[in-house]
Amino acid sequence: MRPQTFEERIERQFDTICKQTLKYKARDCYRKIKRQAEREVSFSELSEQDLAQLSVSDEYFKDAYSFNVLGYDITVSDLSLAEALDTLPADRRDIILLAYFLGMKDWEIAERLNLVRRTVAYRRTSTLRELKKFMEGHADE
Amino acid sequence: MNKAQKSKNGNPGLLPFPVIVAATGGDMEAINKVLKHYKGYIIALSTRRLYDEYGNAHLFVDEELRQTLETKLIAKILTFKVE
Repeated sequence: MRPQTFEERIERQFDTICKQTLKYKARDCYRKIKRQAEREVSFSELSEQDLAQLSVSDEYFKDAYSFNVLGYDITVSDLSLAEALDTLPADRRDIILLAYFLGMKDWEIAERLNLVRRTVAYRRTSTLRELKKFMEGHADE
Repeated sequence: MNKAQKSKNGNPGLLPFPVIVAATGGDMEAINKVLKHYKGYIIALSTRRLYDEYGNAHLFVDEELRQTLETKLIAKILTFKVE
């Protein structure tokens, strides 16, 4: 057998690498296609419940509670949650509303209410606990 | 296999050395030659079989897959080192 020249060796190497790359890439793609096919469901096969989950319908101030905090009007559409919020003292409620309905950071709330950040954090967590207790108590009734 | 694509050493199915060197250096013409050389293999890999509602098999070339493979091949060519 005649020894391979340098050029011949490169030619063979290149050929192998190209074929391997294509083969493995194709295998990856087929795996991806298969994975997708397992999870794919056509729209017509979705149950009414699933469809409802994907859709959003707008409701404007339909028996919603509304709280006023620092000049912002915040509407709470969940009735039981609004009732629970209504029982809280106003300063505690403000923190909850600012944090979870307006998405403010603790330090932002602290700045606006002239409090220390840690006070806000403490009141926020303790109020949450209270809220939970209140709502669980109501659910039991 | 036409004559231009045949290796100088007489190896059928192998790209000639100068083309490889040019392609790894980023020469468009050479890269096109490489793509043309592997076109058949790419098409064979991206041919998929689908079944219609009566269970008949249909073969078709997945254009998206073919392009993905082509892109991958070009990327790989450019990282190949002749040494």
